[in-house]
Amino acid sequence: MPVRLVEASSPSQVSGTTHGNTLPQPCSLLSVGQAFSGTQNVSSLQKDEAWRVNVRIQGCDLDHGYLCGTMEALNVPMADTPVVTFWEGEIVDTKNYTFFTGKWGATVEDDIKHWTKFPSFPPLLSQVEADGGKSLDLSNYPYIFMRWKEQYFVNVGTDCGLTIAGFYYVCFSCSDGSINGFYYDPNSSPFQKLELKSTNDGRSGFSFSTYELQ
Amino acid sequence: MPTSANSNHPSRPEDLIGRLNSAHTPYEAKLKALRDLKNQIIGNRTKKLVFLKLGAVPSVVSILSSAAAPQDGGGGNREFHESVLIQSAAAIGSFACGLDEGVKAVLDAGAFPLLMSLISHLNEKVVDAGARSLKLIYQSKLAPKYDFLQVKNMEFLLSLLNSKNEKVTSLGASIITHSCQTAAEQQALSGAGVIKRLVCLLGGSINQKDASLESLAAMVKGNPEVASKFMGPENGRALGVVIELMKDKYPRTRLLASMCLISIRNTSTSYLQDLGIKSALVLVLLELLDDPGQVGDEAPFVLSGLVTEKEDMQKIAFDANVINKFCEHLTAGSFQTKRLQGIFLALSDLCSKLECCRDRLLDLQVLNIVTEALAHDSAEVRAAACIFFKNVSRSVKNLSAGQFMNEAIAVPLVQLLCDSRTSVQYLSSLFWIFRYGYAIEHYNAVTIYLAVGISRLMKNEVAALGAISNVVVNFMARKSVFMECGGVKQLVQLTKSMESAIRVNAVWALKNLVFHLSNRCKEEILLELTSTTLVSLINDPEASVQEQALGLIRNLVDGTLNSIDCVFGEDGELLHAIGRKMRRSTSKVEVQIQGMYALSNVASGNELHKEAVMNQLLPQAVDDKETLLVKFLQSSDSRLRTATLWAIINLTYPSSPNTCHRVNKLWNAGIVSQLKNMVNDPCLDVKLRAWTAVGQLMMYGDAST
Repeated sequence: MPVRLVEASSPSQVSGTTHGNTLPQPCSLLSVGQAFSGTQNVSSLQKDEAWRVNVRIQGCDLDHGYLCGTMEALNVPMADTPVVTFWEGEIVDTKNYTFFTGKWGATVEDDIKHWTKFPSFPPLLSQVEADGGKSLDLSNYPYIFMRWKEQYFVNVGTDCGLTIAGFYYVCFSCSDGSINGFYYDPNSSPFQKLELKSTNDGRSGFSFSTYELQ
Repeated sequence: MPTSANSNHPSRPEDLIGRLNSAHTPYEAKLKALRDLKNQIIGNRTKKLVFLKLGAVPSVVSILSSAAAPQDGGGGNREFHESVLIQSAAAIGSFACGLDEGVKAVLDAGAFPLLMSLISHLNEKVVDAGARSLKLIYQSKLAPKYDFLQVKNMEFLLSLLNSKNEKVTSLGASIITHSCQTAAEQQALSGAGVIKRLVCLLGGSINQKDASLESLAAMVKGNPEVASKFMGPENGRALGVVIELMKDKYPRTRLLASMCLISIRNTSTSYLQDLGIKSALVLVLLELLDDPGQVGDEAPFVLSGLVTEKEDMQKIAFDANVINKFCEHLTAGSFQTKRLQGIFLALSDLCSKLECCRDRLLDLQVLNIVTEALAHDSAEVRAAACIFFKNVSRSVKNLSAGQFMNEAIAVPLVQLLCDSRTSVQYLSSLFWIFRYGYAIEHYNAVTIYLAVGISRLMKNEVAALGAISNVVVNFMARKSVFMECGGVKQLVQLTKSMESAIRVNAVWALKNLVFHLSNRCKEEILLELTSTTLVSLINDPEASVQEQALGLIRNLVDGTLNSIDCVFGEDGELLHAIGRKMRRSTSKVEVQIQGMYALSNVASGNELHKEAVMNQLLPQAVDDKETLLVKFLQSSDSRLRTATLWAIINLTYPSSPNTCHRVNKLWNAGIVSQLKNMVNDPCLDVKLRAWTAVGQLMMYGDAST
């Protein structure tokens, strides 16, 4: 289980606001049941390849900066069927998690390099370089940054020839629900890009389902 | 203990009772019979029940009564009477000890005032016997409530606490533990200087320490004022003494000291918040778990009180390996019912909020033990097992992996619903029969017992529904094991329960079941549930039921496009019901939010669906009153504003054939100006949706507005 970063006893705050007011706000397009589809580019020096990918959000616990869901990769050459994995996400909310990963083999340089590839990140860069973004006020920022780590294969064995050793740096756009990500794995080609859009299941509009755990 | 000549042959119960009752039995023989009785019943529950059935208690109380009456003469006669007082009081105490039937019999026979009168007796041994027996009675919930607010009673209580007799002071403390419940009572006791006296008793004998710890906990519970008085300077090192008692050599004292500290901690966040004391409490309770007796049975319950609803305490307990220890106990072997219940409840509390705790619990592979307990003989254990499942299945990761959706768990859960439904129905019928069919003198006792029985069954039913609500959440869009076990029929029946708590939880479980379910399964559920039932649930007297019902519909119409038609069929009765509910000004905001999402989901369908929703939100006959849409867009609840915006976005979704027509209607209803006011809404989600909606409306815009 990823280690939760504990907040420091007296964090420095921008404009003296409390932690409660600086977290990213909930976004309806990033809620349970929501689906996204698009591609993951898995190009290497030898060839250009892209897999179709479907993602669905299954769990969301904003208090703990937690998200989870499944990722389905279609037309994977080594597999007969679509490959489904279960992933867990860390939401960069400056309370539970900052922009610094601190694990999974990613250094601070790796973090900065990857976050910088998102067009929505530069305004935050200087603060992030200073303290990982701990004192940022993200409550009105229309983008949510996350790390997604696949935990296990749902429908295939671990001998399927695929790896889930790395993780994704993810940027979600609150306005249209589009998702961009970069896969990081020291042993794989760098900057494999994930591009997803919110899907409608063939509908003319957006539909929202719900469950509540007791 | 002097033994009688016949000690090798204990008298038959009937003979003993005969001797006690007979006017012809000489007094010495009666005394011997009393001793004999007392010796037979001490520590022997079965014998107690036998003698109770034979009416032993009224006989003994009658003897006590005659002996307690003013006597002629003194000397040997007095000594004899005092022996009778002692033995009869002891026998009565023994009947009351740990046996509710015994306590009831003793109270019904009028023993209580007689025992009280012994407290002021000149002979210390008589006082001891009376005090001891009264204390045993006060350990039961059935003991009469002591009214502290009457001056006379307070004075008497103080006299007990100030007595030189150890048993009498302990009795005083026990009365407080039993009867001190309200803030007014706590204040009154505190105002009378009781705390100081109790603090002194902390330095007394074991019984005095234990009794004092329990009564201090009762006095402080939930009362910050009394808690601060306890912590105040006039009580010196009282807190330090209690903390020291956590290391006392007697396990029961360690347990009670912990309970007292937890009571203070839970009452006021100003005290006992440092890591040291928090860890110490966890460790003491963990160690007490090893006690094979009653202390070990109670320790898990006390730990629950320490960690419940407190994430920081749960983390400390986790770090101290409490979960591992509890699981070791579980796997070690079979248990006394109370201990099993306690362990399940403590584990439930521990994994209520933290994923690391749930992970650890699941790693330790005790799920099969808890699964078996779903069919345990004891209703309390079954309920505790349900609560365990409810909390541990809060792990979405494990829900997703299908950890909880297998026949081994689903079958007993469905069975629990069947059983309790039958029992509640049966008891409810009995309740009403007694209410209307029997003479009034039977009414109170019988219907109270039935009401208690129904209430307990309902709690168990709610516990089962809580577990089911969570384990049915199905992410895989395949048929649910729960459905295959016949669970839907049970849930649907429970949506028609007379008790709102049952209805709410049954509909909640259905809502969760339907999340992301295949259309085929949704149809099956609708067939069982019927539109008529859904409509009556939307119009349920309880807002919480309405909210869950609308959430259920929201889920039913989500998914592929044809799910909408499955639900709404041809007559649109359900859609009308939702629209009517939205238009009612008395609807609660949570109900409105779910209703708007249900309508919004339908509005993401085809033209017919969008028109149908439009008719509900902007009916043809629009009068001057503010439209529903504007009212909701102006709600102070951002969730309702968001849901309404989604409905508008869906109704005006570009590339739908008749969007233009709907856009015009919305312009005419003044929606656009309302939306323009929202583009700087403080809530980001609302702001972004307002932008989208405005954009869509402007695309088709009526330039004349």
